[in-house]
Amino acid sequence: MAQLDNIIHQPVRLQIMSSLVSLDQNEHVNFTYLRKLLKLTDGNLGAHLSKLEQASYIKIEKTFVARKPQTFISATGKGRDAFAGHVAALKEIVEGSQTQIETNS
Amino acid sequence: MNVSQEEAQVSLSAVRDTTVRTHKAIASAYANPLLILWGMLWIIAYTTTHFYLYYAFHIFTAMAAVGGLGTAIIVWVFHSKGPIQETSSPRLGRRIAIFWILLCVYIPIWLFLLAPFSGLQCNAFICTASMFAYIVMGLWFDSRFMIILGLALTAATLVGFYILRDFYCLWMAFVGGGALLGTGLYIRLRWR
Repeated sequence: MAQLDNIIHQPVRLQIMSSLVSLDQNEHVNFTYLRKLLKLTDGNLGAHLSKLEQASYIKIEKTFVARKPQTFISATGKGRDAFAGHVAALKEIVEGSQTQIETNS
Repeated sequence: MNVSQEEAQVSLSAVRDTTVRTHKAIASAYANPLLILWGMLWIIAYTTTHFYLYYAFHIFTAMAAVGGLGTAIIVWVFHSKGPIQETSSPRLGRRIAIFWILLCVYIPIWLFLLAPFSGLQCNAFICTASMFAYIVMGLWFDSRFMIILGLALTAATLVGFYILRDFYCLWMAFVGGGALLGTGLYIRLRWR
């Protein structure tokens, strides 16, 4: 049965996860690009990324590209599964096929 | 956790919007330089061929070389310095490269088997074979854009071959090349 996920359900985190799972499993995106794409501030994006990282839904890597420090973010397998479950649960609610939706928290 | 149908609907819309926005942003950064490059090369090569048919082989060899090199540079820059990078060995990229190399090997084999043929037949065959590869790529990546582009350019090639033979090269320059260039510019201007 599909499960709603409290962490992912928050609107900004839902957008972050939607964007990250759109990438291939072996791809990661840099922080600045994600911030511009989602039209967020540094602080706002950083705070939500921390929440997702604590839940092991995303992986944050700091590296150097052309001698400049850059932060790359990717969705983990656990994050992809949780997101897929959350979206499936939302669809079940919309379709009205479920009156009771299990939650994981 | 209580979520109403309306709230669920809004959340699903947000997921769809963000997914589309991400795909468009990637296409804008990645696909449009390739489309613009190949669109310009098609226009130059076909227009030149219309006026200097004798040099068609040299013109298209040069186009393939410049296009291949340009494509390799764009792909390399995007994956090594772009905003989205590969975390592990780019096996998918390698498979795609092998697919196109195989196509470049098989097309001359098929041409050899099909000979003799006219220059027009040869060109139409290479175009439709390349567009077939585009459609395969589209199915592989679940990209409706690549499938539609492949089908549209196949149709354009057939129209030029069967209906506008005397103006085939100009037709291919402006319809085929124009479609590639126009799509690239559209993505660049509208999907930012």
